[in-house]
Amino acid sequence: MTSTFIRHELKAFWRSKNTGKSIVIRVVMSLLILYLLVNIFVLGFFLDVVLGKVFPKDDLVISFCGIILLYFLSDLFMRLQLQELPTLRVQPYLQLPVKRNALVRYLTFTSLFSVFNLWPFMLFVPFILKIISADYSSITALAFIVSLLGFTVFNNYLALYIKRKSNLNGWVFLIAAGVIILIGLSDFYFHFISIRKISYSFFGHLTTQPALALLPVAFGGLMYYLNFLFLKSNLYLEELGSRKDIKYKSSTEYPLLSRFGSAGDLAANEIKLVLRNKRSKSALIMGLFFLFYGLLFYGKPGPAGSDGFKVFIGMFMTGIFIINYGQFMFSWQASHFDGLLVSKIKFTDFLKGKYLLFTIISTGFFVLTTPYIYFGWKTLLIHFVMYLWNIGVNTTMVLFFANRNYKRIDLSKGAAFNWEGVSGNQWILSLPLIITPYVIYWPFAFFGHADIGLTLLAITGLIFIFTRSFWIKKLEADFYTKRYTIAEGFRNK
Amino acid sequence: MIEIKDLKKIYNGVTVVNVPHLEIKKGESIGLVGNNGAGKTTLFRMMLDLIRPERGEVLINGELVAGHENWKNFTASYLDEGFLIDYLTPEEYFYFIGGLHQQSPAHVDDFLSGLTDFFNGEILKRGKYIRDLSKGNQCKVGVASCLLQNPQLLMLDEPFANIDPSTQFRLKNIVKDLNKNKGVTTLISSHDLNHITDVCDRILLMEKGVIIKDIATSSSTLSELENYFGVEQAFAAPVKIDEEENH
Repeated sequence: MTSTFIRHELKAFWRSKNTGKSIVIRVVMSLLILYLLVNIFVLGFFLDVVLGKVFPKDDLVISFCGIILLYFLSDLFMRLQLQELPTLRVQPYLQLPVKRNALVRYLTFTSLFSVFNLWPFMLFVPFILKIISADYSSITALAFIVSLLGFTVFNNYLALYIKRKSNLNGWVFLIAAGVIILIGLSDFYFHFISIRKISYSFFGHLTTQPALALLPVAFGGLMYYLNFLFLKSNLYLEELGSRKDIKYKSSTEYPLLSRFGSAGDLAANEIKLVLRNKRSKSALIMGLFFLFYGLLFYGKPGPAGSDGFKVFIGMFMTGIFIINYGQFMFSWQASHFDGLLVSKIKFTDFLKGKYLLFTIISTGFFVLTTPYIYFGWKTLLIHFVMYLWNIGVNTTMVLFFANRNYKRIDLSKGAAFNWEGVSGNQWILSLPLIITPYVIYWPFAFFGHADIGLTLLAITGLIFIFTRSFWIKKLEADFYTKRYTIAEGFRNK
Repeated sequence: MIEIKDLKKIYNGVTVVNVPHLEIKKGESIGLVGNNGAGKTTLFRMMLDLIRPERGEVLINGELVAGHENWKNFTASYLDEGFLIDYLTPEEYFYFIGGLHQQSPAHVDDFLSGLTDFFNGEILKRGKYIRDLSKGNQCKVGVASCLLQNPQLLMLDEPFANIDPSTQFRLKNIVKDLNKNKGVTTLISSHDLNHITDVCDRILLMEKGVIIKDIATSSSTLSELENYFGVEQAFAAPVKIDEEENH
């Protein structure tokens, strides 16, 4: 059965309207991953040397045992943001004589094929073979590898479990990320606990009691089982969801927006779209999560706290919604795109509505970043410049790419099995958006005139804002050459 | 009202629509019939500028449909659920559509109160988004939004398919009333031959993308259509057996 699913998935990939784009993304992704893997492998190979340098006072094995859990904690944090959820459109199989367990097993097993599961082995196994098996015995070395396996599987399924939960409710993601950050802070900032000591207390005992390796394996197995049960019970989710959900849906109007005419009505509709669909709503809540990025970097010594980095963080904090939501444009409206095309809407108004939406939400995010004035008025100034950049340049770029997006998103389907786009791939698509401000800012900053660079960013942003009507005309003309392809792609279920 | 010239749509080398010439006059009521794959929906979509024909053009009121927007002011259409904004409540959707035609919410409410029978209490003030409605009720929302636009040209693709018998009856009356009393040009496709001959004055029969019959409805039209669709096959089989027995 599994092979049939894989074959169907491959067909879905090759026969999709977006195959070309997906392939480009995959190639770029695999190059990046390959580069990272080589780095990690080199790091793993010389881990003994590195550990000796970083902790010169400690015994090599003690410091090695100390960092393992630390690694897995940061691994979990990375996975939460980047790991891809395996997908399968389960609906067509549900009424067929296909065992539910087979479906769920396919979904859970394929998630193991992730590079994240290679990293710990690349990083730690060379050390284990070089030092542990020499100092202790090959049994101990095996015990280490087995417990690595256990922790990897555990992390893999824990991350997926949290991600699946947070697809249903965006707050879960915020809470989970908050807990991980809190654990990290209570070690490095408050010094309540020491993760390295905890890690050593387990792996240290492992050197004398190899059988302890079965403990993480048991954890891993438990987490797998939990995932399995969650998925299995959620195969029903579509019907359950609609039956449980008997809350009265009231109509809302945004009188302020109706002043903007058709464009305002369209923006109002789109705000409703964002708030009333789980997936788009998570995009908004994720944006709130990014508001904390400043706390992680600002005020730190070195490049992390520099103005150049603030340009980057500032753009993310005020524009994350544009990047996150905008890159799937106009797919969000795929299910009623035909209706929009035949109704009495000018495409100019349609685009104006988009600009309005982005401006409103970006303004909201900018206002939320004002407390960062704590790090100096210049921080806020940089945020403001990047806010101008976002509503000027990035909105236009996002809409330019939107004219090239032919893939349907079915919002009416439950979010539990609708995961496309919640992975590292989406960051690749946003690369042009992230790089462009640096093309302007970096050359000046490099020669010590960062302020000129910043001024230029602000001016460019303003120019784009004031020439909006020009860009709207360009985008409209561009749209008319592609509208049939877009509409056909959206009709393609 | 509508003029089609030399219209052709080809998918993968197969011609799915081929209409050399068709003229529909103002105030006519047209019924479009044909088996699955005959090209009815494709023809509708080309008339609404949703897909690009390989050749030819469609004019509504003398204006090219492709690349122009004027026809949208007086044309209302409902082909499938893809025309509805499904995360809105029906009321919000009606206000939106009304707003596009410069109608105030109060005016829209007033208009909708005239459709109480048609809605049968299943659409308004139910506290549901359009996506939570059944297909039949979604169709009611689509048809009502067409009526709201006060169109001069109304296009409906298989409107009878998902709605209950009472609503079918009401819809027929509404369409007849629009056509006879308000002079609206109507264009409706259906698989239900009874309904279509009842509502429409002129029937277009499509087969493999070509309009093979263009008939004014009369008392014999229904049996003529029934002959084309069903009896052909029913007769074909016995005839063969007869021949075998004769030999």
